[in-house]
Amino acid sequence: MDVLQGTLDMLVLKTLVREPLHGYGVAKAIRASSSEALDIEFGSLYPALKRLELKGWIASKWETSEHNRRAKYYRLTPAGRKRLHEEHSKWTELVAAISGVMGPAQ
Amino acid sequence: MIFFRRWKYLIPTFRRAEERDMQEELDSLAAMSSEGELGNLTRAAERRREAWGWTRLEQLARDVRYAARSLRKSPAFTAAAVVSLGLGIGANTAIFTLIDALMLRWLPVHNPQELVQVTLRAKGVADPRENFNYPLVRAFADQEDVLAGAAGFSGANFSVGRPGALIRTPGAWVSGAFYETLGLKPEAGRLLTRQDDETSSPVVAVLSYNYWQRQFAASPAAVGQSILINGYPVTIAGVSPPGFNGANVGSVADITLPLAAMVPMNINGGVLLGPGNYWLRVLARPRMGVSVAEAKARLNAAWPAISAAAISPGMPRWLQEQIRGARLELTPGGTGWTLLRARFEKPLLVLMTIVALVLLIACANVANLSLARGAARRHEVGIRLAIGAGRWRIARQFLIESALISLCGGLLGVALAVSGSRALLSVLSSGPFKIAFDLTPNLHLLAFTGAVALACAILFGLAPALEATEGEAPAALKEDARMSHSGSRLRSSLVSLQVALSLVLTIGSGLFLRTLQNLRTLDPGFESEGVLLAGINEQRAENRPPQLTALFNDLVDRIEQVPGVLSASVSDNTPMSGGTWSEAAVPKGQPLPDHDSANFIAIGPRYFETMRTPLVSGREFTERDGAASPMVAIVNEAFARRYFPGRDPVGSYITATVSRPPVDLQIVGVAKNMALDGLRSAPPPAVYVSYFQRSQLAPTMLNIRVTGNFADAERAIRAQLQPRLPKIPLDIHGLSEQVEGTLLQERLMAMLASAFGVLALALAAVGLYGVLAYAVARRRNEIGIRFALGARQGQVLGMIVRDAARLVAIGIAIGLPAAWAASRFISSMLFGVTPMDTATVIWATATLALAGLMAGFLPAWRASRVNPMETLRNE
Repeated sequence: MDVLQGTLDMLVLKTLVREPLHGYGVAKAIRASSSEALDIEFGSLYPALKRLELKGWIASKWETSEHNRRAKYYRLTPAGRKRLHEEHSKWTELVAAISGVMGPAQ
Repeated sequence: MIFFRRWKYLIPTFRRAEERDMQEELDSLAAMSSEGELGNLTRAAERRREAWGWTRLEQLARDVRYAARSLRKSPAFTAAAVVSLGLGIGANTAIFTLIDALMLRWLPVHNPQELVQVTLRAKGVADPRENFNYPLVRAFADQEDVLAGAAGFSGANFSVGRPGALIRTPGAWVSGAFYETLGLKPEAGRLLTRQDDETSSPVVAVLSYNYWQRQFAASPAAVGQSILINGYPVTIAGVSPPGFNGANVGSVADITLPLAAMVPMNINGGVLLGPGNYWLRVLARPRMGVSVAEAKARLNAAWPAISAAAISPGMPRWLQEQIRGARLELTPGGTGWTLLRARFEKPLLVLMTIVALVLLIACANVANLSLARGAARRHEVGIRLAIGAGRWRIARQFLIESALISLCGGLLGVALAVSGSRALLSVLSSGPFKIAFDLTPNLHLLAFTGAVALACAILFGLAPALEATEGEAPAALKEDARMSHSGSRLRSSLVSLQVALSLVLTIGSGLFLRTLQNLRTLDPGFESEGVLLAGINEQRAENRPPQLTALFNDLVDRIEQVPGVLSASVSDNTPMSGGTWSEAAVPKGQPLPDHDSANFIAIGPRYFETMRTPLVSGREFTERDGAASPMVAIVNEAFARRYFPGRDPVGSYITATVSRPPVDLQIVGVAKNMALDGLRSAPPPAVYVSYFQRSQLAPTMLNIRVTGNFADAERAIRAQLQPRLPKIPLDIHGLSEQVEGTLLQERLMAMLASAFGVLALALAAVGLYGVLAYAVARRRNEIGIRFALGARQGQVLGMIVRDAARLVAIGIAIGLPAAWAASRFISSMLFGVTPMDTATVIWATATLALAGLMAGFLPAWRASRVNPMETLRNE
């Protein structure tokens, strides 16, 4: 399934709510929580991380992983949390509106 | 917000750090994922770089560096282009600097855009009246519910210092609300207030900042000191802020005095404060919240009450009616007021057009050079197209080169303009007015030059850019790729355009030169060469006419004894001094007209002898034509012809309004017409009256004809006069200087139009030379073949010269009608020549044709020396 650009930002923010993750971790988490339905292309995810960082919604830091490997971890900033909240409610409204129009599947 | 985080990536150090960081991160991610799981990592890095980098800017920087390198590689082209543009832009900036200083600069006062100039428009009168009398100025200032302030002012010259060490200092008379209206804050002390503008107040003065620095070394102790102005002790109240030199644009007011001080200082007996003298300009500031339209409506509603102050009982009835029925107008006044504006607006606009044409020629030149260079670079462009460069990318490269050339040309232009505009100003100042302008570059100027340079870059850069990217890459790559046909046509038409424009400018400069020459050789009715004028302007009321007669007779006697002095006389005015006096005068018995009908000059004995103006009949005035003798007059030929056609008026009487009631004067002589008000206008009817029979006080000029060295004579005259006139600074200058001063505009136009004409001609000649030289270089092989087939040198020479002649002929064919259309706009500035004066047109066309042929001859000669063997070997 393809993911729209704005939606990708929202997914990344959502993924980082629970814990800081590195780039590969974000990709895996999205794939896992969507039951493998969303396979985000790394070529899109990687620039998105920088874009979100420049907007001040996430921050990055080099850390050592559980396998004793160094990796760059991204975590949500307070501004990012606020943004996610806004995106989320917009998303809910949109889904509700579309469901209203579509009704149950025939 | 995102921009602030991105700014740091403009700095190479941060960019390099980010690159390293990204590489490290990608390596770490690749290590933890399985092979190929993350896809193309280089592509991912590239897309991420777009998020933080300045890709476009970096590309631009690379293009600029490349352009600079490529321009450095062809220094001859670059130098020619930069110098052409520099001259063109410099000329434009210099003229614009003057236009800006004269017409566009705001006065350095509080919110100048709010200021309005008050003028009075009477029914049936073309130009609104800009001058007001003192009672009106005060009446305006009292309209406090409409105006926050109204200021009246007029420039003046003051004599500062003690007798024997007087210094003539430019200043201004201002009304009490002057500084308050302009909203200025004092630099030291205080500024003038309404309270100072009362005849009973002690006399105080405000100094300009520059004068305070010059004369008092900016000492705070200057405030409160007393200085002698026109012999009267005046206290310095304060200093106006730096940069402010009065509201008269172009002249400096170093000392400002309140108008009411004219009474205690006894300046002309304070008569200028009366209702009969209209001499003050008025700037006003509508009250906050009152729009200009509203202020105008409310002032006009109040006019019936105010206009009582405008009318003097001495005014003729028609004038009183006219003033009562007039309407006030408010025009934008934030740029101050100047007489110069009306005088130089048109010449400067004509000059602006001329320099714009010069710049157009320069642009055509650079376009031509770039086209030739572009043709030579077709191979390079072909390679770049072939390896995948976009057309836009290549066109952009050419435009960036143009922009760089423009930038350098613009910088050179500004440098030239700074000295050029100063030189122009000194020419302007050589006239009757001393002109002081603030010429420091400002935002207007930078914006103007920037816009001009940018327009140039687009104008001359676009053609080569389009030309270079036209056509298919493989064609351009072919070894003998040659200039496309459309390109060579474009270049030829550019040259013809240059020729046409230079023809317009050459004809224009010819017309201005003829005008100046005609005016200089015109017989003004007197010989200005050899006449010195000594002005005794400071009239003191205690000098009443009886004493004056004795004083001036004595002065003239003393002067006539100075070695080298041939004759001397006294008069109240001199030819072309800039001022005239007029009255109504008709033969006795005819009704006096409402309006003045003749110019008047009061003169003493031997005036015509001194001026070398021949008397047609009758005699000059003598010492006997004094206050006690019968009133006499001398009329000029124009007066005689109009009122005494076909007969000699000597012995007849005229009635004139020289005093009230009008008096009769007997005509004792008829003099040849003298140009009084300017050389251009036909001399109007004039009446000369005896200086010693004048009832009113008048300014005094001593007219002195000398032989030999002017400077020696001036020193000797000064030594004779100064002891007798200790309180008066003597202003001595030559009459020919004064006459030449009235030709300022003509001299300026002739000088600049010819300078720019020559520049245009040179640029066009260089352009023509360039095109032909390039064509010859391109046709070397063809010419070689022609020689091999038996062509003679003369034939080849003729072929190229014919090309040149064709381009010049086309240019002339376009230029002549263009000049015809353009010259009609300057016809009012010409004198003695028609706008399409045949001799001028022929002369200009011949000059241009000659320049064209000379420019064409060198390439033609080179073509005729082509060695056929050499070129055929190349083939």
